[in-house]
Amino acid sequence: MFKLLMKTVVAAFTTAVILSPVTGEARTLDEILSSKKLIVGVNPTLPPLGNFNEKNEIVGFDVDLSQKLADMLGVELEVVKVGSPDRIPFVATGKIDYVMGAMTRNPTRAKIIDFTVPAHTEVFGVLTTEGKPYASYKDLDAAGVKLVQVRGTTPLKFIKENVSKAEVLLLDNYPDAVRALAQGRGDAMIDVIDFVGEHMNKHKDTKWHVVKAPVNVYFCALGVAKGNSSLKDWLNVALFELHRDGFIDETWKKWFGIDMLYSVSPSPYF
Amino acid sequence: MNYTLQFGQVTEFLPYLAGGAWLSLQIAFLAFCGGMVIGAFGAMAKTFGGRVVRGITAAYITFFMNTPQLVQIFFIYFALPDAGILLSSYEAVLIGMTLNAGAYLTEIQRAGFQSVHRNEMEAAETLGMSLLQRVRYVIMPHIAKVLFPPLSNQYILMTLGTSMAAIFGVEELTGRAFNINAETFRSIEVFSITAVFYIALTLVASMSLGLAGRYLFRAKMRLI
Repeated sequence: MFKLLMKTVVAAFTTAVILSPVTGEARTLDEILSSKKLIVGVNPTLPPLGNFNEKNEIVGFDVDLSQKLADMLGVELEVVKVGSPDRIPFVATGKIDYVMGAMTRNPTRAKIIDFTVPAHTEVFGVLTTEGKPYASYKDLDAAGVKLVQVRGTTPLKFIKENVSKAEVLLLDNYPDAVRALAQGRGDAMIDVIDFVGEHMNKHKDTKWHVVKAPVNVYFCALGVAKGNSSLKDWLNVALFELHRDGFIDETWKKWFGIDMLYSVSPSPYF
Repeated sequence: MNYTLQFGQVTEFLPYLAGGAWLSLQIAFLAFCGGMVIGAFGAMAKTFGGRVVRGITAAYITFFMNTPQLVQIFFIYFALPDAGILLSSYEAVLIGMTLNAGAYLTEIQRAGFQSVHRNEMEAAETLGMSLLQRVRYVIMPHIAKVLFPPLSNQYILMTLGTSMAAIFGVEELTGRAFNINAETFRSIEVFSITAVFYIALTLVASMSLGLAGRYLFRAKMRLI
């Protein structure tokens, strides 16, 4: 997800920045407080982080966290729909105060926007069932191993490069792929495991096992405009508190159906 | 439209697509053969069977002709494992397509059976021929010519129907086209080449079937 997103974002951003005139400046914390409104960008195509409900409102983990932050500030929350290509320009031009939606912190993005401390993680790892002998993704690189994957997703490139000996069964969507794994059509799946939690929970009889050693862990944060330290500093403090009092973990569990696989250990030093 | 066609990225996948086309052909051929066998017995059952046998055959045909083939294969692939029957993608698709083809081919062959004149059947019966003998020596020679064109059509339809296998992870022509599309994002190029492959598959099939029809039965069949 993120690799593809990252590429699109970088490409789109470069064009967007060159082409679009700067229409506004990022709002400081003071301006947010006096306008009584926190404007947040959420990507509604990444459930359960953000998704449209039956009333066509955006809901999800990102919205709940933002609502909490708005409550803490004592202001209204306004959710703005953003997509992968336009979300960074939205922050950079001040149309939104910060952006969420699996915003993995990375140096390329950090050249253009600033990041808060991590809000959550994503584990790119191996999902398998209990009793399978895999201790790391490297064990999957063997003849006789069958991976179940979703067609057209970014892990396929990783598999081609690193787990090339395994056979791959490609299905068209995550529910089907997870079900195929539950039914024993394959041995494992390599993907961002957090996002398949809701599908895993549907197969109650299956004893799922997430291989302890992840392939990678991504730290996702809130993206604010470059240099908007008044907002960023406040968000850091607020996120630290929300990590510490368990709000983030509970909200995660509520939306993802499983605990955050690699929990953020909040550090007071930032 | 501001789009520059670039086939270069896709042409390197031609052998890969050709392998997929070969697999599509295999699935269509095997399912058709299996369907023909089911169809022959189905047609016999519907024509000569008692009430119970006819009822069962009718139920089978009604079910398979009135539900989408995709749903039938979904059932075999995703529902049967809950009953302890785990079939691989290829097996599930092949069985699904065979059962589906069986229903259609039963109907086609039954129509042929009924086109044989009653007097001939009664004459054969008077000669003491068994049911199988009657089918083999009286009915088959009659209906082969009549049924050849609709059977050919059914075969072509089935060749195109194999594209459904992609959904179940069988890497046939369409499945491979999806994969290349996901990798190159050259949708127009990928799917136009895939379309050409399908046209080639069906044209070759219909031409050779047409030629065979002309030669074997002097049937007036169009070649294309």
